[in-house]
Amino acid sequence: MPQDRDTGPDAARAAAHAGIERLMDTLLPSLIAKLATLNVGELEVREGDWQVRLRHPMAAGQDFGRRATDRSGQRAHAGHEAVGAPAPARALASGVVAGATTAASNGTLPALSPVGPGRTADGPPARDPGPGVPVPRGPIATSPAVGIFQPGSAAVAGARVKAGERLGAVDMLGIPQDVVAPADGIVASILVEGGTAVEYGQELVGIEATAGSEAR
Amino acid sequence: MFSKILIANRGEIALRILRACRTMGIEAVVAYSEADRDSLAVQLADEAICIGPSDARRSYLSVPAIISAAVVTGCDAIHPGYGFLSEDETFAEVVRAHDLTFIGPPPEVLDRFASKEGTRRLLGGYGLPTIPGSVGMLRDDEHALAEADRIGYPVLIKPSAGGGGKGMRMVRTPRELESSLRVCRSEAKSAFGDDALYLEKWLDDTRHVEVQVAVDRYGLGVQFGERDCSVQRRHQKILEEGPTTALSPAARAELCERAIHAVVAAGYENVGTLEFLVDAEGKAYFIEINCRIQVEHGVTEMLTGIDLVAMQIRIAAGEPLGMTQADVQPRGHAIEFRINAEDPAHDFRPGAGTVERYHAPGGPGIRMDSHLFPGYEVPPFYDSLLGKLIAWGPDRATAIERGRAALDELVVDGIVTNLEIHKALISSETFLEGRMTTNLLDRVGSAAFLAAAARP
Repeated sequence: MPQDRDTGPDAARAAAHAGIERLMDTLLPSLIAKLATLNVGELEVREGDWQVRLRHPMAAGQDFGRRATDRSGQRAHAGHEAVGAPAPARALASGVVAGATTAASNGTLPALSPVGPGRTADGPPARDPGPGVPVPRGPIATSPAVGIFQPGSAAVAGARVKAGERLGAVDMLGIPQDVVAPADGIVASILVEGGTAVEYGQELVGIEATAGSEAR
Repeated sequence: MFSKILIANRGEIALRILRACRTMGIEAVVAYSEADRDSLAVQLADEAICIGPSDARRSYLSVPAIISAAVVTGCDAIHPGYGFLSEDETFAEVVRAHDLTFIGPPPEVLDRFASKEGTRRLLGGYGLPTIPGSVGMLRDDEHALAEADRIGYPVLIKPSAGGGGKGMRMVRTPRELESSLRVCRSEAKSAFGDDALYLEKWLDDTRHVEVQVAVDRYGLGVQFGERDCSVQRRHQKILEEGPTTALSPAARAELCERAIHAVVAAGYENVGTLEFLVDAEGKAYFIEINCRIQVEHGVTEMLTGIDLVAMQIRIAAGEPLGMTQADVQPRGHAIEFRINAEDPAHDFRPGAGTVERYHAPGGPGIRMDSHLFPGYEVPPFYDSLLGKLIAWGPDRATAIERGRAALDELVVDGIVTNLEIHKALISSETFLEGRMTTNLLDRVGSAAFLAAAARP
């Protein structure tokens, strides 16, 4: 909408709208394309007052299905609570979650509203993260028990691991259950933060299998 | 009252407990094994958590997995259902140690009633007629023969450490007793690691009658009448009904009164069932107590209108019973048919498979408690119970008619079920005349039973 004046609240709002338009129409699509080609898990971009964080699903604990552990994960996450009320997260068609994040949120976006383990709000049970989101490639180390995930020293992106190597443990009522690498390879992403509650079989660490190794 | 309950069971009872929580406005989390990921309770739950693989020892029987699940989901109580850990006093103890409430009797009560033999002595001391048996464990063959003589043949040799038929033999003469003792000892040793045996009087042609009770934390107890569970196959119930046709109304009332007085005096707490064997003369003998909700609890619910699972939860939360014996007014007659994934034509061989079509009957007095749905893959790892069809009527004849119509309407396609045996039972003279005994099916043989039913 054309403005007569280029200062004042109306002008500021118009500028914000224009900025968002630029983000959605131009910047975001090219960023997503770039993210796919780069070997990074996360990309943050500022455009004016807006900040957009793009996260590749392999790099984030994003789980578009409802797990009981989402809520408890937040409970176990006492140290990561955002200051002030975080803006509600909305999944966009491209699978990117955007929103104003506060500096104190440490990059932890609020969990999506609950639905069911591995399921979306209105669809049949699905094993993958959700529509529009690429399924994690490669072998994945899953939780051997229901409890609290404790990543070990080998659980860092880029670390070279061998099949059977201990990546960490899940503390089940004080009894540590080892999480092991399912194949030789490089740790690509930690899907769940340490201290988070996980269920049996939950995906914890994504491995990029190296050439010649056996995939899971 | 609890704010969140972990349902540590599966199949139809998990759904039953979920429904009770819903009606009470209590949040519930369904704990499930990998094999039950697509089960109905998990689908309908607001929250569900996978606790382990299909192997029950690492899921439904895993104390740390269950308690860990309750802790990480913020539950304050655990409902164990039936079977699995529902009567395990160690489990109940560990639940309490983690500041959670076990929905059932407290650990010390479970402990008090843990031994079958001990419970008979305990409740016998409080006025219940108990099945005659040996005093203590059998020291040696001489002791066994002396005890058998005192009790009177036939006697049943039973292992102290476990059930399921292992180490059990019925003998009619001293010679049979002598030769069987050796066999029973070694069977018990290998099955339970303990070869201690005792003797129990064996009654031919008995009826199985049980009394439903509830006692709150403050010592107030109420009985909800009895159920007749005489129709069994190899000691497994397949059809239950109430009231029983084995006893006169006066005898029924007396049995139920004795039962509730004995359990209250013995310090029982929460919902439970006392099982009796009734002989041909109508004499009842107490055999054991089940300190949990039972599969056939729905029969009593249909007769009394009371929600027994909700009652378990309320008692465990410390609420008073909130009713007196006068408030319990059973009405009419109810029959439950256990629908199992078993093949009556092949010795009730359990089966698995996918339920292709499923339709539950309805109408006046019909209740279907089942976790089935079209497309459901019945896992092969657990018991074969698919659901319970309960028919209520103002009298036994109407309940039977409604049951027959409901069995005809019920559709479970894609897997083999025992539906045919129920249709045969409900048209058999023995059943219609109310004369079933616990060994009916085993004695006649199910094949013969089915064949008789097929004859016009």
